[in-house]
Parts: sequence; C-alpha cells; structure tokens
Amino acid sequence: MKLVCLGLNHETAPVEVRERFALSESKMSEEGKLLVEDPAVAEGVVLSTCNRTEYYAVIEDGGVQHLENWVCSQRNYEGTREGVFYYYESRRAAEHLCRVASGMNSMVLGETEIFGQVKKAYQAALTGGTTSGILNKLFQRAFGVGKRVRTQTGIQEGATSVAGAAVELAEQVFGKLKGSSVMVVGAGEMSRQTAQALQSRGASSVIVTNRSFPAAEKLAAEIGGGAVGFDDWQNSLEKIDVLISSTSAPHFVVKPRDIEAVRRKRKFRPLIMVDIAVPRDIDPEVGEIEEVYLYDIDTLQGMASRARTRRLEQLKICEGIIDEELTKAALPGLE
Amino acid sequence: MEMAYVIGATILAAAGAVFGWRARGDEGHGHRAFWWMVGAFVCQLLFLGIRGELRGQCPLDDLGEICLFLAWSLTFFYLVTGTTYRLSLLGVFTAPVVVILQLVTLFPGALDTNPVRAEVVDPWRESHAAFSVLSYGALTLASVAGVMFLVLNRRLKSLRFSEGMMTGMPSVSRLVKAMARIALVGWILLTIGVVSGLLMENGKVSVHLVVATVTWVLYAVLLGIYFVRGLPGRYLAWGLIVLFILSLTVFSKL
Repeated sequence: MKLVCLGLNHETAPVEVRERFALSESKMSEEGKLLVEDPAVAEGVVLSTCNRTEYYAVIEDGGVQHLENWVCSQRNYEGTREGVFYYYESRRAAEHLCRVASGMNSMVLGETEIFGQVKKAYQAALTGGTTSGILNKLFQRAFGVGKRVRTQTGIQEGATSVAGAAVELAEQVFGKLKGSSVMVVGAGEMSRQTAQALQSRGASSVIVTNRSFPAAEKLAAEIGGGAVGFDDWQNSLEKIDVLISSTSAPHFVVKPRDIEAVRRKRKFRPLIMVDIAVPRDIDPEVGEIEEVYLYDIDTLQGMASRARTRRLEQLKICEGIIDEELTKAALPGLE
Repeated sequence: MEMAYVIGATILAAAGAVFGWRARGDEGHGHRAFWWMVGAFVCQLLFLGIRGELRGQCPLDDLGEICLFLAWSLTFFYLVTGTTYRLSLLGVFTAPVVVILQLVTLFPGALDTNPVRAEVVDPWRESHAAFSVLSYGALTLASVAGVMFLVLNRRLKSLRFSEGMMTGMPSVSRLVKAMARIALVGWILLTIGVVSGLLMENGKVSVHLVVATVTWVLYAVLLGIYFVRGLPGRYLAWGLIVLFILSLTVFSKL
C-alpha cells in the first residue's frame, strides 16, 4: 500500500474544470466513503476548495491510474486529463499536503484560510471513518507544520492586495478599525473591494457617493451602507475616518478646501484618504494637511508588491520546516 | 548600602529594557520585561526609604535623589498603565530612560554621602517636591509618546514603510490619546505640586514658584486647546516636547 495525492488546482485546471470537480463540505465526506468502498483503496481524504480538489489516499501499488479513472467517472469528466491532474506519491505527497496546509500552494501565497479548509476536510473524513493509521498521522503532522510555518516565518505578513494594503495603513493610523466610518467616492469595483476589506476588519458605517445616484444606492445596498448625493458628499466628511476615492473623473474631485472646511468640526482627528483612481481623484495638496494621510494607487501597489516579494523569500525557510518535520519521526506510508 | 539598591535597580531596569525590546508586540515575552521592572521598582523604593530615613523628609535634596525619584515615578507609571502600554514601544522606551536616570544617580558626586537631616519638616514643601517630581514622571512619558508620534507620523506621511517600523508600534490614534491622557495626569499632579508650593511659601513669591506656575499655565493652555477645540497630533506632540525640555532647562538653571 502506498500514500498518494491526486488533484487539480488553479495552476493546472481552468475554472470550468475546477467547478466540475468541486465538492461542498457535506459532499466531501460522502465522496471519501465512496472512495474507500473501492477494494484498491484503504484510506481516503477528499479536500475541495474554490481553487483545488485533491484526493489523499492509501492505495495498492500501481493504483494511481485506477484512482484517476475513478475520480473522472464520479464527475462524468471526459475532457483532457494531461496537465490537468497532478500526482504525488509517498514523501512527495506528504510534502505537498504540508505545502497546501501552510498556504504555500495557494493562489495568494501564505493565505491562512486553507489551513481551516484542510482541517475541515480531515474532520469530514474522520467522521466518515475513511482514515486510519497512515492518513491520521500524516494530517496531524501537516497541521503541526502549518502552525510552525505561521508562527515561525513571515509567509503571511503584509498585505498582498491593494485593498489589504489600504486596511494595513488604516490600522496603523487608527489601531482597531472597529466602529470607524468609511466614505466611498465612486462606485467602482476597487472601491467596493477596499470598503469590504475595511468592513471585514470592523469598520461599521459606509457612505457611498457617486455621480450616478442609483449606482451609489446599488453599491451601498450591496455592502450594507448608505448613499449620499454627489453634490452633498462634503457634508459627510465631518463623520468619517477613511475616504476611498475611485471615480473616472478627469480632474480632482477632492480638493484641499473640502477638507479645510471641516477640520475644526472634526477636531483635527486623523483622516486616511485612499486614492485608487487613475487619473487621481484627490489633489496631492490634500496630503499636506496635518491630520490627513493620503495614499495613491502606486503607494498601495508598491506595498502589496513588496509584501509578495517578502513572502516569496520565506518559502525556503518554510521548505526547511517541512523537511525537518517529515524527517524527525518516520511517518508510515512514506517509504 | 543604598548605592547597592541603585546598582540593583539599574541592572534590573537594563534587563527590562533588553527583554522589552526583544518582546515588543509579543504578549508572552512582554511579561518577562514587566517582572524585571517590578524588581527595579522594589530596589528604588528601598533606596528612597533609606534616603528618606537619613534626610528625615522626602529625599529630593540632591541631583541623585531627584533623578532616582523621577526614575521611580516613571517605573510607577510603567507598571500601572496596563499591558497594552507595556507591550508597545512606548513601554519599551521607558526602561532605557529609567536606566539613564539611575546612572546619573550613580555618577560620583550626584548623591550626598552625608545627607543633612532636616530639623523642621514642612509638609507643604514635602508634597510640593514629591508631586512635582511625580508629575514630571508623567510629563516625561507624554514627551516620549510625542517623540514616537512624530517618528510614526513622519514615516506615514512620507510613505517610508519599508523599514519594519510597524512592529509593536502603537497606532497614531492611540499615541495621540496616550500623549493627551498622560499629560493630563501629569498636569493634575503638577497642580497639586504648585498649590502645595504656594502654601509652602506663606505668601512669598520665589522665581522657582513663578516658573512652576508659568509651566502649569502653559500645560493648561496646551491641554485646554486639545480637549476643547482640538489640535493636530503633531502640534500636540511638539507642544509637549518643547514645554518639557524648556521647563526642565529653566528649572535646572535655578
């Protein structure tokens, strides 16, 4: 019997193939049970996320082709297989699981959500009684690796997206964002993403303004905020902590006089202004005002890019941890 | 004997500074720095107790005693202001200042080797001296917070993010609040010190007391503007730093 991993992910398969193989959380356990009903398979764990579907199994020697056929028949998949599926066995399969659990194999390098998804997949298999000596020990070891990678390396440090960089800067100015207010000028996609990123960290109130009021209302409804008219947005400046601007206006929309007019009313509280429009929406002179922290798209992209580079630099350390953990005590099934 | 306590307090505070710096932002290790500072605080209390016995009054008569009393005051605020403060760089900055103040005390000539015992103890004089030094402990911390704010503000405004500056650093908002609140505590203590000084003098107005009163008024104006009208953080920070340096310079010349 041998440990194998058969899977497909965002790097090998387009979305229309990935969605065919994707399984909901409840279906993963059922799939595992069906898998171990096959006489060639002794143990099995099925992991399925929006970016990957993987089968970890303990099977008879030479049973990989059998497994691949079984998986494709389960999903009625008759398309091309070459380059879509990847396959690892023994120690390489174990290393791959450790990489996945640590976020090293994710679309956003170092993301942490995958750790919980791997845990849920294992839990589903455990509940379904589809694991035994080899996979139980392997997954426990992989969780240990994931924790070490998270705590001992910088693979998850820094924001790797524009929205994440805006949140990082806002937290450096305000600390916790709980209860803070956000204004979105322009109803574009980037504004929505940034506002949602701030909301996910505790921002409680979002005001949307746009030249087209129905578009402002639509975005406000989508993110649970309120809309104000484009000729009236300056009146809301007094209450907000963060302003995100992303209109397609060919001229500056936010000028120093808009902020100067409300400084006293704001009692000179700090104000973060994020300009993600090209051409820029916020007059750079606004950044000269003492309590204003103004950042444009270049700044945010630069931050995200540096964070991605730093994460890539951590990969070597992460690989060292995996090697150490898989070597320190022999795991069954890796021979 | 009392010098042994100063040496002990200095070693313990230095250890607190090292552990504090290593553990910045890390709660588990931050508690180690706390216990070193507790040790330093105990040594400071023992020193002040011995000197108080020798003087027969609050030990604030020579440079060494004043510095150690100020170090004790800083340590006191460090210990009572809570975990969040201690784990931030603001807390980390306190221990080195305490070490420097105690090194001044250890400097030859800073402490009277044969302190004169007071024949008459004026309680107003005692409370004037004690509360004034205690207030300067708080005002020192407010200035430290001001320096940190200026560093962070400059980096955030000039887009210099690449030096790992954020590790353990409090946010801009927290630093502004810390500056204002600690300065307010210092000002309240200074109020008690100045009022005690006015009562001590029995109607006589000394230059020392005039300077203390002017300092008190200037802090009151700065904090009044901040709390009533509002003030950009940078102006508050500079106000606290300039007032602190200016008042200390003037007092040292008197």
